[in-house]
Formats: sequence, structure tokens, C-alpha cells
Amino acid sequence: MLNLRTIGWAAVVCLALAAIPAVNARDSVGAMASVATGVNEAAPRQLRSLDEDVQSLKEEVLALNRDLFLLEEELLFPANSQVAFFISMDVGEYFDLDSVTLRIDGKDVANYLYTEREAAALLRGGVHRVHMDNLKVGEHELVAIFTGEGPHVRDYRRGATMTFNKGIGAKYLELKITDKASKQQPEFVIQEWE
Amino acid sequence: MRDRRPILAAICKLAAAAVLWQPVAAAETLTASVIVKDAHYGEILYSFYQEEYFPAIVRTLVAREQQLIDHHDAESELLLGGLYLSYGHHLRAAEIFERLLAGNVEPQIRDRTWFFLAKIWNQRGYPEKAQVALDSIHGDLPEAIAAERHLLQAQIHIDGGRYDDAIALLADWKGRNEWASYAQFNLGVAMVRSGRVSEAELILDALGKRKTRSEELNALRDKANLALGYAFLQDGQPEPAKAALQRVRLAGPFSNKALLGAGWADAERGDYRNALVPWLELRDRNLLDSAVQESLLAVPYAMAKLDSISHAADYYLHAIDAFDAEGERIDKAIARIEQGALLDEFLAHDPEGATGWYWKLDTLPDGTESRYLYHLMAAHEFQEALKNYRDLRYLARNLDRWRQNVEVFQDMLETRELAYYQRLPRIQASLAEADVEKLVTQKLDFDAQLNNIERSSDSLALASRAEAALWGEIAALEHTPVLAADIPEAEEARNKIALLKGVLQWQLDASFKERLWAIRRDVRLTGEALVETQRARRSIDKSMQKEPETFGGFNARIAGLTPRIDTLQTRVDATMAQQRAFLQSIAVEELRAQQGRLATYTVQARFALAAIYDLSSTVGEAAQ
Repeated sequence: MLNLRTIGWAAVVCLALAAIPAVNARDSVGAMASVATGVNEAAPRQLRSLDEDVQSLKEEVLALNRDLFLLEEELLFPANSQVAFFISMDVGEYFDLDSVTLRIDGKDVANYLYTEREAAALLRGGVHRVHMDNLKVGEHELVAIFTGEGPHVRDYRRGATMTFNKGIGAKYLELKITDKASKQQPEFVIQEWE
Repeated sequence: MRDRRPILAAICKLAAAAVLWQPVAAAETLTASVIVKDAHYGEILYSFYQEEYFPAIVRTLVAREQQLIDHHDAESELLLGGLYLSYGHHLRAAEIFERLLAGNVEPQIRDRTWFFLAKIWNQRGYPEKAQVALDSIHGDLPEAIAAERHLLQAQIHIDGGRYDDAIALLADWKGRNEWASYAQFNLGVAMVRSGRVSEAELILDALGKRKTRSEELNALRDKANLALGYAFLQDGQPEPAKAALQRVRLAGPFSNKALLGAGWADAERGDYRNALVPWLELRDRNLLDSAVQESLLAVPYAMAKLDSISHAADYYLHAIDAFDAEGERIDKAIARIEQGALLDEFLAHDPEGATGWYWKLDTLPDGTESRYLYHLMAAHEFQEALKNYRDLRYLARNLDRWRQNVEVFQDMLETRELAYYQRLPRIQASLAEADVEKLVTQKLDFDAQLNNIERSSDSLALASRAEAALWGEIAALEHTPVLAADIPEAEEARNKIALLKGVLQWQLDASFKERLWAIRRDVRLTGEALVETQRARRSIDKSMQKEPETFGGFNARIAGLTPRIDTLQTRVDATMAQQRAFLQSIAVEELRAQQGRLATYTVQARFALAAIYDLSSTVGEAAQ
């Protein structure tokens, strides 16, 4: 009768190797994984060659995106009439931002709802360009309405107003949410980005 | 002043997180506050903090081109390197880091950057570059990173087949954190591979007996015991093999292989009855596992050894049926993969805007073939190729969107151009009517008149309309003939008229300077308005002259960008097809390996069954 032990040992050796890989579940080095999966020896070379193609494509698509973004901005918002409105947050202990509404010269121009991820990015120091517009030279009025959750888990809705002068050249306005520790309240300020 | 944020720390975390599943705690020590001085830099951070690496890179490139983040020149370079790294564009990331390294960088940051580079290169399959980066580290790294660096170096040695170097490196390592456990495991494995089982025993045995509450280290302990057990089996030491294999948790992911090995340890000692206990336990487990497949042969083998021939034959028949059925399922799975459905299913639930190197496929979709591909998920090549495929899908969508946008831009530009040329004649006619030069001449005349008035102190010239009328009436009265009579009433009237005239004259003289100033002010304001009008006119003339050039410029840019989009779309599609084919080939190869193993098992089972039938017929004939 056939001695299956020989078959068994062949499998044992296979299994021993298979047991070894994935050295470190956390570690993406995972170099021995190829032994485990039977991925052929040519695979790394092929992966590398394809990877180089992908890298080159990424580079070119990024450069193209840069050029297209520049074209888009120059076409839609020429520098002379461009006004950009940015939202920023500092600390944010007394206010969880839900949404911002912008009104320019009595007309609603933007209504932005923030996801948790976006609000978190603001809290970490990110600045969100909430709206871009083309405005004529002269005086304009901006009203910003912030809604969210204020101190003591209460719904909070506050507005801030500013009259600004649009000259020739791009203008950047910052709508800033800060904490007023003395009053334990959030504070909403609109200012020109210097 | 803007928000103070630990940007550098975040970048370091980003770089660290890109090479480890969890950020290295030590990276936090690189904290440095940065004031966001340029709104556009804050905007880049906004995308970066949301892990939207592609848009963040594009924003950085655009902002730098427009010189909008000049206050953050140095930081933006470091950030860009980190963004490229996280996006998976490691060649560019490495280029930036190398450039930064060539400059004046603090030694601590320099060494860490080299370490991150080494991780990138090795992760992406460039071990020789990884080695160069590791060799460039000259100072002491923080403990957590130093431990990982050690492990990385050992891994590079192991991958390169330089086991002795790996052994020498890891043998001296006194690291006490969890990395030490991985290093011990790797060392043990390296020793087994180079045939030093007795040396490996000490290391793997210590690791296999370690008590821990960490699931991760428990899994590592199981692996150590499994590796040790099989190493002993290979070395002909069934008793210590069984002891090691029995330490593997029954409910853990390695229990099937441990049960199989435990059975072989008993069989090795000739104790087939005991060998049957773990093997029969395996029989009811998932046939996808190679250990379970092998148990289907091992059970009848043990039964045959125990002279239970008819049972053995039944078990062999059952094994053959099970292998055939499994083989057919694998055939179908291969056909489906070759049809190309696999990758789309893998990425079906992937968010459209997601990119980045952090990503890893954790779960397989439901489907016939998915169950056969669990091994692939652990494969470096497969995961890396899948990441690239996912990034290519993002690029394809990005280019599609731009293709549509550019068409909209073109339409918009044509409409704008048409409207401009329609309005132009009306504007030109209006401009022709407005004779600014004539107005300027009038203003200069006014100036001359005012000068004369001032010189001659002609206060009457500045009288109001009412005052002038009054002055005229008084003058007319003065010349009335009746008032020339030499009578007291006429004299009284002459005196009153002289008084009135005197008062009016006095009023005009008294307010002369004030009136002159007010008029000069008005004339000056008019002059300024005229200058502004002239400037506006020049601007309009310039715009009218320039507008066709602007339209031409935009048209040329759109005309230049459109073929770039088309070319890149073609290249992305072609590379996607290659990447898809590569991934499919890996998956099919995995399935074919499983199929091959099943085929071998089937042949062995049939051979063993034939042997049993031969034996039975021989015994039958002998009995007759």
C-alpha cells in the first residue's frame, strides 16, 4: 500500500512555509507574503514596471490638473473681479459648525453644510474656500450666518456683517470662528485676509 | 495672526502613517507650531487633513504657480513631499525628500526622513534604494523608529536571502517593545530557513510561551508555535513538535495547520489512533483550507495503518468527490476572474474620491471566487497592484470630468466672445459721443476765468443768481430819472439805494475768498473726475484692444489642453488594462496553485484507493 507519509511531508514543508509568512500583521513590508501566496517570481518585476508607468501617469495628470485649474480660475474668476471667502476656526470648544450661509449685497450666494470630516479639518487648522465670486469695484455688504451647536449642546445661529471695498485685484475675506473664553461663547468675525 | 497648528508634526505623522499602519509615536516629538499666513496654504491643509491627497497636491501646485503661498515656501515643500508620499507617488516624494536632505536640515529630521524613504523604497519593491537610505542614517533614532528600522534592515536581509546577516543583526537586538517580538519571530524563521533548527528552537520557543493580552501578539505567538512545530517535524522531532503545536489556540486562524501538524506528530511516532483525533476534527472544517484538504487524505491513511481498510476506502472516495467538487468550483471562479468581473467587485464599495497609499483591501466581496482569494489579501504585490489600479480609476474619472469641463469652458468662451462682438459697436458709438477732450478744455477755461476773478478781486463775478439779480435791480433803480430830482424824497431814496448796494457789495466782498475756494474745490473735483474718466477711457480702449488677444489666449490654452487630456485618457485606459490583467493573472495563478494542489491530492487518493483495491483483491484471492 502507498505510504502516504511522503505525501504528507511534502505538504508539511509547504505548510511550514505557508505558516511563516505575514510576519507582522501591522507591517506592510510583508516581504515573505509571496511565498505564502504562490505569487510568481516575475510578479515583483512586473509590478515594478507597471508601478513606474502609474507613477509617470500620476505626475502628468497632476501637472495637467494644475494647468486646468489655472485656466478654470482665470476664466471664471478673473483676478480683477475675484473675491474669495474663506472659513477658518480657532479652538472651536464652544461651537460645532454645521453650516454657513453667505449673502452678498442682499443676495444669497452660498449655503454650505459641513460634514464631520470637514469640520474636523477646520478645527485642525484647515481653511475652507466656501465661495468665490466676481464683484464690481466699490462697496459691498457681506452677511454670514453660522449655524451649529453652541455651549451646553444648544442649537446656535449667529450672523456677522461686514462692508468691504472691492478695488482692482483679487480680494480674500476670512470668516473666522473663535472661542471667546471670557464669555464661554463662540465669536464670529469677518476680516480681510492680509 | 492665524491659527497655530502643529503642521510639521502632522506632516511627520503623515509620512509615518504612510509606512506603518499606526503613526510612530515618536514623530509627535517633531511638533512645531506654524502660523497660517496665506489663506491658500490653509486651504491645502483643509484637503490634507481630510486625506484628499490628490486635490491637496493640485492646490499646492496651483498656489505655488500663482505665488499665493510665499509665506510658506519651505513648509509647502515638505508638505508636498508628504502629500506625494501619502498619495502613493513615492518617486516624486523621494525626489523632494532627497532634495530637502541635500539642504540644511536638522540631523534628527534628516535621519527620520531617510528612514521614511527606506520604508517607501522597500514597500514599493526597491530594496537596493531602501538599503542606501538606511545606510544614510547616521544618528540615533527615537526608540520606536529605531526598533522598526532594525526590523526593516533584517527584513531586507531576509528578502535578499542573506539569512546570516539577518541572524547577526537580530541576535544582538535588545529591543523590548512589540517590535522585538516580530524581530524574534523573523529571526527564528530565518534560522529555520538556513537549517539552524536548534538555534531557532530557543527563540521561537520563548516567543511561543510568551503570555500576552494583545490579540496581535497572541496571533504572533500562534505563528511562532506553528513554525516551531513544523520545524521540529522536519527535523524528525515529533514530541517537541506536538508540544509546540498544542500551544496554538484552537479558535485561532492557525488552528487548522496546527491540528494537521499535531496529527503528523502522532503519526510520526506511530500513534495513528491519536493522530486521527485532530485530523477528524479538521474533516468538518472549511475545505478551502489546504490543511483541511490534506486531512481528507491523512484520515484514511491513518485508518489504513490501523487496518481499517474498508473505512479507509470510503474516506478516500469521499476525499476524491470533495476534491473534484472543489476543483469544479475553482474552474468557475477562474472563468469569472478572466471575464474581468473581479476587480470591479473588489472596488465596488470604494468611495469615488478616495486615493492614497494608506488604503488596503480588508474585506473581500461576496462571490464564488472571493473565498479562494484570501491568501491574496496578504500578498504585497496584489495589494500594491490593487492600490495602483484604484488610483488609475481615480485618474480616469478625473480626466473624464475635466474633458466635460473643458467642453463647457469652450462653449462659455464662444458665448462670451459672441456677446463681446455684438456689444462692441454700441460701446464704440457711445464712446465716440462722449467728448472727454472738450470737457477738459472747458475745465481749463474755468481755471483761467477763476484766476482772472481772483486777480481782479471781482466779487460780483462770484455772486449767486439771486444776488446778481438784486445787483441788477439796484443798478436799474440808480438810473431811474425820477430819483435824479432835487427834492428831499428823491435824496432819501438815493441814500437807501446806496445803502442797499453797499450792503450787497460788502456781503460779496466778505464771502469772496470762501466762494472762490468752494468753486476752486468743485473745479478741482471735476478735474479729478475728468482724469479718472480719461483713465477709464484708456482702460476701455486697452481692453477693447486686448480682449481679442485674451480670447485668443484662452482658446489656445483650451486647444493645447484638450489633446493632453485625450492622450492621458488613452494612456490611463491602457495602463488600467495592463494593471487589471496583472491583478487577474495573480488571482488566477493563486487559484491554479490551489487547483494544482487539489489535483495532486486527487491523484494520491486515487492511487491509495487503487492500492487498497489491489490489496483487497489479493486478500480475496488468497482466501479463495
